[in-house]
Amino acid sequence: MHNPASAITSSLSRRAFFGAGGVSLASMSLSQLSAASSGPRPQPSHVAPRARSVIFLFQVGGPSQLDLFDPKPEVNRRDGEELPESLLKQVSFAQIQEKRPRLMGSPYRFRRHGHSGAWVSELMPHTAGIVDRITIARTLRTDDTNHMFAELLMNTGWRRFGRPSLGSWVAYGLGSQSQEMPAFLVLGTKPRSKSANYGSGFLPSQFQATVLRDAGEPILNLSNPPGVTSRRQRLSIDAINRLNRVRLEASGDDEIRARIASYEMAFRMQARAPGLLSLGSETRETLKLYGIEDPSRPSFARNCLMARRLVEQGVRFVQVFHGDWDHHTDIGKRLPGECRVTDQGSAALVLDLARRGLLDDTLVIWGGELGRTPVAQKPMAAGGRVGRDHQIEAFTMWFAGGGVRAGQVIGETNDLGCLPTEAGWHVHDLQATILHALGLDHERLTYRYEGREFRLTDIHGEVKSELFARS
Amino acid sequence: MSNILVGIRWIVWLAVAIAVTGVPGTGSIEAGDLELHWAFQPPRRHAVPRSDGSTPIDRFVRARLASRQLAPSTAAPNAVQVRRVTLDLIGLLPTSARIEAYLADSRPDRWGRLVDELLASPHFGERWGRHWLDLARFADSSGYESDSPRQIWPYRDWVIEAWNSDMGFERFVTEQLAGDLLPAADVSQQIATGFQCNVIYDPGVRYEAIVDQVQTVGSVFLGLTLGCAQCHTHKTDPVSHEEFYRLYAFFNETSIQRLPLPGFDTGYRDGLVIRDEKKKSDRPTGPATLVLKSAPQATHVFEQGDPSQPGQKVVTGFPAFLATARVGKEKSSPPDRIELARWILSENNPLTDRVTVNRVWQRLFGTGLVETENDFGVQTPPPSHPGLLDHLALEFRHHGRRFKPLIRSIVLSETYRQSSDVRPELAAVDASNRLVGRQRRLRLEAEVIRDISLQAGGVLSEKMLGPSVFPDQSPGVLDARATAAKWTPSEGQDRWRRGLYTWHWRLTPHPLKPLFDAPEGVTSCTRRDRSNVPVQSLALLNDVSFYTAARGLGRWSWLSGPKSADRVDTTMLRCLGRRPSPFERRVLLELNESQRATLQHDLAACRAILGLDAGAADDDLVERATWVLVARVILNLDEFFTRE
Repeated sequence: MHNPASAITSSLSRRAFFGAGGVSLASMSLSQLSAASSGPRPQPSHVAPRARSVIFLFQVGGPSQLDLFDPKPEVNRRDGEELPESLLKQVSFAQIQEKRPRLMGSPYRFRRHGHSGAWVSELMPHTAGIVDRITIARTLRTDDTNHMFAELLMNTGWRRFGRPSLGSWVAYGLGSQSQEMPAFLVLGTKPRSKSANYGSGFLPSQFQATVLRDAGEPILNLSNPPGVTSRRQRLSIDAINRLNRVRLEASGDDEIRARIASYEMAFRMQARAPGLLSLGSETRETLKLYGIEDPSRPSFARNCLMARRLVEQGVRFVQVFHGDWDHHTDIGKRLPGECRVTDQGSAALVLDLARRGLLDDTLVIWGGELGRTPVAQKPMAAGGRVGRDHQIEAFTMWFAGGGVRAGQVIGETNDLGCLPTEAGWHVHDLQATILHALGLDHERLTYRYEGREFRLTDIHGEVKSELFARS
Repeated sequence: MSNILVGIRWIVWLAVAIAVTGVPGTGSIEAGDLELHWAFQPPRRHAVPRSDGSTPIDRFVRARLASRQLAPSTAAPNAVQVRRVTLDLIGLLPTSARIEAYLADSRPDRWGRLVDELLASPHFGERWGRHWLDLARFADSSGYESDSPRQIWPYRDWVIEAWNSDMGFERFVTEQLAGDLLPAADVSQQIATGFQCNVIYDPGVRYEAIVDQVQTVGSVFLGLTLGCAQCHTHKTDPVSHEEFYRLYAFFNETSIQRLPLPGFDTGYRDGLVIRDEKKKSDRPTGPATLVLKSAPQATHVFEQGDPSQPGQKVVTGFPAFLATARVGKEKSSPPDRIELARWILSENNPLTDRVTVNRVWQRLFGTGLVETENDFGVQTPPPSHPGLLDHLALEFRHHGRRFKPLIRSIVLSETYRQSSDVRPELAAVDASNRLVGRQRRLRLEAEVIRDISLQAGGVLSEKMLGPSVFPDQSPGVLDARATAAKWTPSEGQDRWRRGLYTWHWRLTPHPLKPLFDAPEGVTSCTRRDRSNVPVQSLALLNDVSFYTAARGLGRWSWLSGPKSADRVDTTMLRCLGRRPSPFERRVLLELNESQRATLQHDLAACRAILGLDAGAADDDLVERATWVLVARVILNLDEFFTRE
């Protein structure tokens, strides 16, 4: 096993995570136990880390890159023409049934922005304003046209249920820098394959995400009940965990270890989370930057601001899910609507992190599980609610902070936007690259389960170092 | 909520898109795949292995273990077994008296007697009925943006009573799919059709609702994700586009109607204020439920799954790969829903019984013999114990497809009664326990954790059935709703009823439910997660319902005897089914001392802990408050809310 965490964690992991016998689990102190999941400690890493935290703004459903970041004048010119047969053979659709689907140009005006001159469409004016702070990668590719499985591939490296998620691998590999909050937090609408996207799979349960509620209090029950002071709560939790450790020793069930860590974390969260999760201390100017009118209402922008507050406190991995971008129909109405909801908050997050000096240490990722086709999905009749189907061969994501060499556009698609001109980045490459940014080697961050070593990238993945500034 | 709508739409698209094309680019499924796939072969009698074990179940399990040079685990301690089977069968704690009586019982059949007693308990129907309600996606609101309330609790009660009476599976299924079509259908049989009325539904989304009804039949009875969970690179679904719409036709030709139920208890209390004043007339005026009625109409294939593109007309019918399952003479008229039920239940249908018994196994061991309990499709690997799965399926049939004999046979096995402790040598080769070399510790479900906490605290109401109730919940939970609703806690014992009676707004459920992985009720749920996160600890420590339970249990401890050590012992017995070890007793006595020290000069805190008015005078304030804090610790032990 290659867990780069501290020696304590490693030896703990070796015997406890693998259920190997011989060493008494109860011989571990509580501080060691909590250190295994949450201790605030600088983590030795595989490679020099460029980022300490990740914020993944996951755009569920697959945004239409051809209407946002990857302009194709040729598609506009040939609007209504059939997709050439030679290309048809090379692409996979999810739903289009026609033998010869027809190209559909983008109705949106693209312009070059910033010093980098990156193209961004009029639907994303705020993102256009930060192009010099981000790098756009246009040739991501995945293996599955089905959302559910493409989500799982993106978030767990595997097209089926049961594997640990990216965030849980990171939590496992690096622990949390925060004593007061779990290492891995999730906000926003749930993706289609639900908690499998942020679960811990076969990793110990304490590495799964804690989900914050969208509306009302993000975390309920942070206050002690009547008459219970912090001291009384502390005494209670000490007794609970002393007794839980007895049970852990007897049963060998790792779930109890996670439960012990949960109670410790719960106690610390009670002290810090209420302030951390309240947007009351944010200035009007900040709220305005994000476009938040009412901080008590659930919104994507509110989640972006919350994400900033969380990484500020040392949370390792924040994943904000948002969607739905699955515009098979009525894309003309739905896409602009989705952009209005997400554009300002996403851009504001990058700006806000930058002005607080947090951007260098935080890798921000924007993108979904797949992209959309240059061909139209019927009905194309006048007044019909036309849309775009799934495209898995090439789609766009953007990155900021965390050692990213900003202002680049990486990768190129062909004239019709349906295939990469070069190899592009497979999802496994992306995952290897994200881990690399955090100082983790995707080939060495492994976990032994049922007789074999598993890793996030399965047997694939290549770090795309062009994303990063030369260090 | 748009993601629900879109989720359904996505299912629709896939259902249709995949079915239309088979597998784009790679051709459709080859006939051979369907014929050879294990799950599409009829169950057959496998010789029971000649290994050790007192029941056939044990011999099947031990033969596989032996093939890997592994031994089964020893039996769990008796008290653990009693607590396990009580939680599994009725979802409540065994009383201390029942445990002690069991331990003192020297009769050789004491285990069988205990099991029979539990199977006969009215709480059995609550426990197993709740499992079925997960499958039936039962809820008290419509889903979608408005999430308007609906009155369908009589269906929930029908399910509970069906499990309690051990209704045969044939009648159970037939009434739920076609109760309205049975000759001289009575009210109860009509109520049963609520199974398909539980679909999330608003006017204008009829198509999506019917697709969900087809999907639900697929996952609940056939273990097939009908046209859904496939992708282009896999040969998968045995159901074609047209066949999908033949199944669709069964439910297209129905409508959901409100059936007034005179003579039932009134369904709504004033605490539930729905929508705005203008629409006050929407509020149901009396007890009623939703039922399925025939509504003949033409069904068309929808090209690309787009209802605006109707294609050829189709009539009801069955997928060819299971056509042999149809019983009776071929009639000239298309089959109706009664025949749909017969087709599902036909002994020539290789799936239904396997899927059903597998799910029962899953409830009792944490994982099914087929791990993907909702997917028996072509991609599904064989079960961990193929002979055992078929054995259980055939035994189920042999006993008239009644659940109680099936459950009884499983819990009577030594395999069920094994210890759940992790064994390193077993974990090294079978970490996920597919070979069932031990039992598993399973964190209890959302409803059950609250139920047993209230039970231990002496505040649980065991009142059964009736309209859904409104226990305490944190403020602000309903804020996110598109249409306003109020949550006024029920009065009297309705505030402390078992969790399955809690009103379920699909879009804003009671927060303890999603926190402990109860389903939203959007689509059929065949397996709940068992997450383990710090926010659960916060709820168990601080939530008002759990704190009420601690107050009740603390009072009970304090009254249980004069000596602290005895109080600790009896309280542990009440909650965990066993007495503490000397070390555990010491930890709790030390806690008792240290908490008392903090409270000694803080009578205001004592009153707050006890929930007394500021002026309340009582000589024993400190003592009583201390025991509340001790009780609260016991209710927060992992062992308490885990079935071991």
